[in-house]
Amino acid sequence: MTSPTRSCIAWLVLFTTACTGQEITLRLANWASLEEMDLDRAAISEFERLHPGIHVLYEPNPGRQYEEKLLTGLAAGAAPDVFLLDSKLIPTFTNKNVLLDLTPFIAPLNIDTTQWFSNVLAIARRGDSLFAFPKGFTPLMVYYNREMFRRAGIPFPRDNWTWNDYLLTARRLTRDLNGDGTTDTYGTTFTNYYFYWIVWVWSAGGDVVDPLGMRATGLLNSPPTELALHFLIDLRRQGYAPDVGSWVQAEKTGMNTQLFANGSTAMLLDGHWRMPVFIKYVREGRLDIGVAPLPRHPSGGRTNVMYESGWCVPVDASHPKEAAELAAFMAGSFAARVRSSQFLELPAVRAIAEEIVAADTTGWEAAFFREVPFCRQPWGSKIERFSEIEWTLQDAVDEVMLKEAPMHETMTAYAARIDRELESIRSHEKMTFAPIRQHTEILGMLAAVAVTVGGLVFLLYLRAERRFRSGTARAIGFLGPSMVHLCVFLLTPMAFSAYLSVHRWDIVVPDTPFIGLENFREMAADPLFWNALTNTLAFSLNVPAGMALALGMALLLHRRFRGVAALRALYFLPSVMSFVAIALVWMWIYHPTFGAANYLLSFVGLPPLQWLNDTQTAMLSVVVFTVWLGMGYQMVIFLAGLQGIPEELYDAARIDGAGSWQRFKRITVPMLKPTTFFILITSLIGSFQTFTSIYVMTAGGPVGSTDVIVYHIYKAAWEQLRMGYASAMAWVLFILIMIASWIQFRVVGRNIDYS
Amino acid sequence: MVLPFLWMVSTALMTELEVYQFPPKFFPSQWVWSNFTEALTLQPFARFFLNTVIVAAATTVAQLIVCSLAAFAFARLHFPWREKIFAGYLSTMMVPAIVTIIPSFLIINAFGWMNTYQALASPMLSSVWGIFLLRQFFLTIPRELEDAARIDGANDLQVLWRVILPLSRPALATLAIFAFMGAWKDFLWPLLVTNRIDMRTVEVGIANFSSMYQTDWPHQMAAAVVVMTPIVVLFLFLQRHFIRGITMTGLKG
Repeated sequence: MTSPTRSCIAWLVLFTTACTGQEITLRLANWASLEEMDLDRAAISEFERLHPGIHVLYEPNPGRQYEEKLLTGLAAGAAPDVFLLDSKLIPTFTNKNVLLDLTPFIAPLNIDTTQWFSNVLAIARRGDSLFAFPKGFTPLMVYYNREMFRRAGIPFPRDNWTWNDYLLTARRLTRDLNGDGTTDTYGTTFTNYYFYWIVWVWSAGGDVVDPLGMRATGLLNSPPTELALHFLIDLRRQGYAPDVGSWVQAEKTGMNTQLFANGSTAMLLDGHWRMPVFIKYVREGRLDIGVAPLPRHPSGGRTNVMYESGWCVPVDASHPKEAAELAAFMAGSFAARVRSSQFLELPAVRAIAEEIVAADTTGWEAAFFREVPFCRQPWGSKIERFSEIEWTLQDAVDEVMLKEAPMHETMTAYAARIDRELESIRSHEKMTFAPIRQHTEILGMLAAVAVTVGGLVFLLYLRAERRFRSGTARAIGFLGPSMVHLCVFLLTPMAFSAYLSVHRWDIVVPDTPFIGLENFREMAADPLFWNALTNTLAFSLNVPAGMALALGMALLLHRRFRGVAALRALYFLPSVMSFVAIALVWMWIYHPTFGAANYLLSFVGLPPLQWLNDTQTAMLSVVVFTVWLGMGYQMVIFLAGLQGIPEELYDAARIDGAGSWQRFKRITVPMLKPTTFFILITSLIGSFQTFTSIYVMTAGGPVGSTDVIVYHIYKAAWEQLRMGYASAMAWVLFILIMIASWIQFRVVGRNIDYS
Repeated sequence: MVLPFLWMVSTALMTELEVYQFPPKFFPSQWVWSNFTEALTLQPFARFFLNTVIVAAATTVAQLIVCSLAAFAFARLHFPWREKIFAGYLSTMMVPAIVTIIPSFLIINAFGWMNTYQALASPMLSSVWGIFLLRQFFLTIPRELEDAARIDGANDLQVLWRVILPLSRPALATLAIFAFMGAWKDFLWPLLVTNRIDMRTVEVGIANFSSMYQTDWPHQMAAAVVVMTPIVVLFLFLQRHFIRGITMTGLKG
């Protein structure tokens, strides 16, 4: 062989190995729990075995922050190649063209779309396009405690049971077992959570919006819808369902599951995802359960809902074909079979669902399976930003249930409000802009900020009089590191959000059209924004009270005595502990039926309060929690401040015969002023920005009574994907805090004598 | 004050069934110590601890240095626009983190820092809160001490190091605690800038016990108890700086 030929062949070989041997890496993300992760990994390694050139990076994010994570990734153009999507995000994502249409890959990749339940597949279908391969789903079923039914001599529910059967059963199973006048076991549970009650409305033949999703009036305030809500609220009023607080409380604490699992409630309407917990108890012989469908209403047919998730590929995926293949595989029968050992859902693959039913001897899976043909698509998977409407609907139920407002008038008023909200959502989507696709370049903004700040610093140097030049240069040196940091991580993000406040940005798409002051105009006209603002101001009143308490504590604990270290640590504990854990304990404390707070009230002969679930007391409850939580922080800083007061001053005062009150007033208070000022400013800023406690404990409810401004901003940004509007609100808040701080600097700050 | 803590510990020692007892039990009927070992082995917690220690230590050291320098300039040096620049610093505290977190993420992503320690630590290397705190304390230190040092020929850095910092131990201890704790308890940021499990931090590890469907209380509480222990130890170690009389001994006369 001649050498040119040889080198040609060598090149050819090299070239082909480079093409075929080049490993493609795909990132795959979902919200798998710890138990699911190994099953996912098993499915992924099977995929890798079948596709040698493809390497899959598995990125599970359990918990509720999965969405934030995914959205941020999309915002940065760094989304995973395949991700799991809850069907409630499908409308937003398809309307904004975030997802890749998977139809072109179906034929070339030999994907059999008939393997999936057709109504489950339909959730992500838009016209001829398909945007997700379905993973799994669940209807809502009535889990019932067979032991309790047996003891009460009630026959187990059958597939054709009715609302009336349900009501009678709930009544008969609500019992005072020990005859002490209080109920020990309840028939069922009910909260204002839309997620669970919509099926009852459908069952009665009603609905919350019309078939096209255009309006609520005429539907929400129609007789069947009101009948269903009345029926459910009555379960609470009659005492057949325990008062478990708001759904936020019930969900976060797992209250309803707990009550059912330990035999305090006889029936629980829930999805397949409760099965893993219940199965554990059943296997340990602690629980004997059955599964029944939603009871039928005489005037409506058999109906249910379908909560579903599916695998999607982003529209800008770098390897669309391989990603589609992976998505199809994760939705396919191999992965479905692997996952079925977790009992979290019904697989979307019909054959695997049938396998599971055949292998199950309890009849539970069969009950779920029989319900599939009656499952309807939830509104959230059809209407963009429907989660906003859900919040409003929950408020409507609370108005009637907690505030005892008349049903029809309330529903009519709320229907009108929802009509406006739907209209506003539609008009936002329809807004047209100059067709410029501009991706806001963050590094460009960073450079601009750096140049501006650098210029200002240089100007500062030039402006200094000659004799101050060297001092100014030294000051610049001292401030340098913090200034660089400030530019990158605070000023640039601030500039970015200022830019966004006059633009529109949906996070998941790169376009940021300029809309002028539209965001601010909308804000001014939004009563919910003003409500949040008022709530924030009311909330901030906790600061002085908390500070007084913390100062008292610090005064007690700044002396040297045995055990002082332990005592200090004790008071500091709330700041150290995992926030979720503490918030949960407090939600237990505030529980209307079983909580410690009401227990204490009963000791002093006061009637029980609803605490977090009453518009009158919810904010106060959060404030008490916040004061308790922030005390350690304030105390530590007061302690540090107290060390700065020379002992000699006290000695001198003692010699002059000043009493302890005099010493406190004349020495401690004035000497602590810089510290007090610091705590006041930082705590006030903190309380204007309060978010986490609201997010965890009340979600702004009931009926918006604890909706604070940053929570409002959070919802606009992460639930409605309106980052521009959120930024505009953040800037208004920013200016408000500036004014408040400026006043404090003028009023309090000026009186501080630092010498 | 202690009730929530006791509840946490006792939950950490219960079986899952017992957590779901009603009325809730405050003491486990049998102590399930294996919850702790399981909680720490179900996920690579050793790795989480290593990551978190690296980030928290870097954060604490960096904040002590950067904030001391800046606070000294604001409290002690004379330069034009001093108060205005300080107000500018303070104003950056007033923007809620919710709207700055996305741009911060965009920056880190543009730097190509995803899944790195610099991504985890860099946003916390300085803190306006810390600068404000130290400035307030530096202002209360009598000028005479500084003047004496200057007469002895000390420059700015020496004044800071020899006079100001030794007298500010309570404030530095406070800053150290909060800087360390801030990094230790941070949740959303580490979650956003890491995709790989081996780059995650302890707080993310704790949160992982809560899935979309349910929360594994015993393991979550066990992990939470273990995770908070280092901060409590650190606090106990640093709180001795809050005893009156130690710091101001140099002030006599």
